[in-house]
Amino acid sequence: MKSIVRGLALLLIIAFAVPVFANGGSDAAVEETGEIVLSFPTFWVGQDSKSGPLASLLEAFNNQHAGEIKVLLEPNPDTDGYRDKLNTQLSSGRAPDIFVFNPDPTSFQYYDSDILFDFTDELQGSWRDNFVESYILDSTKDGKTKSVPYEIGITPIWYNSDLFAKVGVNTFPATIEEFWAAADKLKAAGIVPGSQMTGGSNAWTSMLWFSHIMGSLGGPDVWDKPLTDPVYVKGAEVLKKLFSDGNTTRDAVGGDAGVSGGHYMAGDTATFINGPWYIGRIRGDAPEVHAATRLAAAPKIGEYSGHQIGFMLSNLAAGNTDDPRKRDAIITFMKYMTEPDNVKMVSESAGSLFAVKYELGADADPLQREFVRAASEASFVIGHFQSQVDVSVIQEFGQALAAMALGEATPEEFVQMLIDAQ
Amino acid sequence: MSIVRTNGRGTTQVLGNTAKWVVLIFFFTFTFIPLLWLLISSFKTNLELQLKPFAMPEIWQFANYANAMKISGLPRLFLNSIIVSTVSTGLTMIVTSMAGFVFSRERFPFRQGLLNLILAGVLVPIIALMAPYFRLTNSLGIYDSLWALIFTYTAINIPISTFLLYGFMRTLPRELEEAAIMDGTGFVGRYWRIILPLTKPGMVTAGTFVFLFSWNEFIYAMLLTSRPAVRTLQLGIRFFTSQFFTDYTSMFAAIVLTMLPTIVIYIVLHEQIIKGMTSGALKG
Repeated sequence: MKSIVRGLALLLIIAFAVPVFANGGSDAAVEETGEIVLSFPTFWVGQDSKSGPLASLLEAFNNQHAGEIKVLLEPNPDTDGYRDKLNTQLSSGRAPDIFVFNPDPTSFQYYDSDILFDFTDELQGSWRDNFVESYILDSTKDGKTKSVPYEIGITPIWYNSDLFAKVGVNTFPATIEEFWAAADKLKAAGIVPGSQMTGGSNAWTSMLWFSHIMGSLGGPDVWDKPLTDPVYVKGAEVLKKLFSDGNTTRDAVGGDAGVSGGHYMAGDTATFINGPWYIGRIRGDAPEVHAATRLAAAPKIGEYSGHQIGFMLSNLAAGNTDDPRKRDAIITFMKYMTEPDNVKMVSESAGSLFAVKYELGADADPLQREFVRAASEASFVIGHFQSQVDVSVIQEFGQALAAMALGEATPEEFVQMLIDAQ
Repeated sequence: MSIVRTNGRGTTQVLGNTAKWVVLIFFFTFTFIPLLWLLISSFKTNLELQLKPFAMPEIWQFANYANAMKISGLPRLFLNSIIVSTVSTGLTMIVTSMAGFVFSRERFPFRQGLLNLILAGVLVPIIALMAPYFRLTNSLGIYDSLWALIFTYTAINIPISTFLLYGFMRTLPRELEEAAIMDGTGFVGRYWRIILPLTKPGMVTAGTFVFLFSWNEFIYAMLLTSRPAVRTLQLGIRFFTSQFFTDYTSMFAAIVLTMLPTIVIYIVLHEQIIKGMTSGALKG
């Protein structure tokens, strides 16, 4: 028993002695110097492609404003955990000074409170010219812009031009009939036409395919149609075919993003869908496939064609404050983060796309240039299916898709399963 | 041709030994294979892991280990995890052994009601307490310190640990205490000299539970800290996941590295650990 008591006493002594038990670090010392300290919790750390360029930007900013403003990065290495933490902070009325804001309907609900910094007036001036206008409008609710649009994404069809050329197809099929014909040629050559998946939390690759299909069938306003509209069954029929007749790999049912992306990077499949954030990954793990990859709009299935699936990925937001010096510091930092040159640096380094107007440099990744081209050539841009429905529907999507792919559900039943999940 | 002579007893012994070995090998395989897979996978590329999860690495990627050390800052995180887990386990044991003693050995008004109130905490999902704990740690001025985690883990584990120790202490014979009272032992003496030493096996069980919880906990470690200096191991391991990509092989390397000290400690101290866990097991 004495040894237990001694052990506990020792631990408590260590506990009081070790400096990390004190909270807050050096904030107080910094404040004594009159420097405004802004906390910036973010998940752009660790293995995230924006981790390095963001750290460089912050270092440069802190050097430029030494003695006046200091931005302290708080690494939060898990996106879901970060969002849980942020929601807890916001609902507790303690918003961080600067933070990454998820531009989804749930997060936009915070616009109704006073907890977020309002950038509306600031964005009426020349700062607004830095941005692509549509993203400012998308970030404005009831006339208030309480988050600044930052990272965006589009998810075109990726195709391995070498594999298509091998079977005599030198341009990506413009119509679905041409696509099936090309798929038959690929299969005859032992190449699987496309990567698909039903696993993960949202069957990402296949959910994006479905979004492309729906865009072609229903046009820019397709998501205004309820799930009971027959257009969804038509879309499901095409999706089913993408899973049938050897058009995808056997492990697509149940497979996750690793399976889908892995087959494409291994050169097993000829098509794939993902966003620009995947460029760094494919460049590092599969340089030959990276070099052969081209981007395209989905083949025309219905009335519409040439569209892309695009969305705002991350906005920047700030906690509201009455302190005029802190307000100025926040605006200074936000303007710095969205300066075209700084955005260009992050974009070229991380492979990401942004809501700010900028020109890629000569050394930019060719695939990233393809992304910029695909975005600029799009006849119209719609959000993906996931962004248009309740979480419960998207959770059901993968299950329903697996059932349809295995022949256990018809396209009508697939859609009904989604309706039932609402 | 040879004739093997066996009697019935020998056959039973052989069958018994065979069954014993089959069971042992089954559980050894069940435990060891995932660890071996983890170790081998930590030397692969991510592409190899996805396409050939059960094959040997084509080229052994020792760089994954360098990556693991560089990205996550493992040594500091490991130290923080040890401090947080050990101190919160110690505090929980102090608090809940006292609570268990009072609830199991004393009679006082509202005893059962109070006990039920504490034990009801077992049923509350810890995620439901995120906002209250966040506000509380901020109000106490311990946000972003190891104390925030230590006190939170202690508080979270009080219900389950009280439940375990209360149940254990209730089985101890009253005669021992009565003899001590006859010898003039007071309230504190009965707790300290009689009940607590006899509760050692129960405390090992509850302590192991609390330690493992504190060691593996992620949500509160993320919520209640922001500086890397006060982060714990579970957060370090998550440094290998990003919004769209997980570097599984470097993460596996980090997990292997974090397991090594525990394995070494167990190898060195396994006799004492087993002795501690089984002492008193045969006593009435």
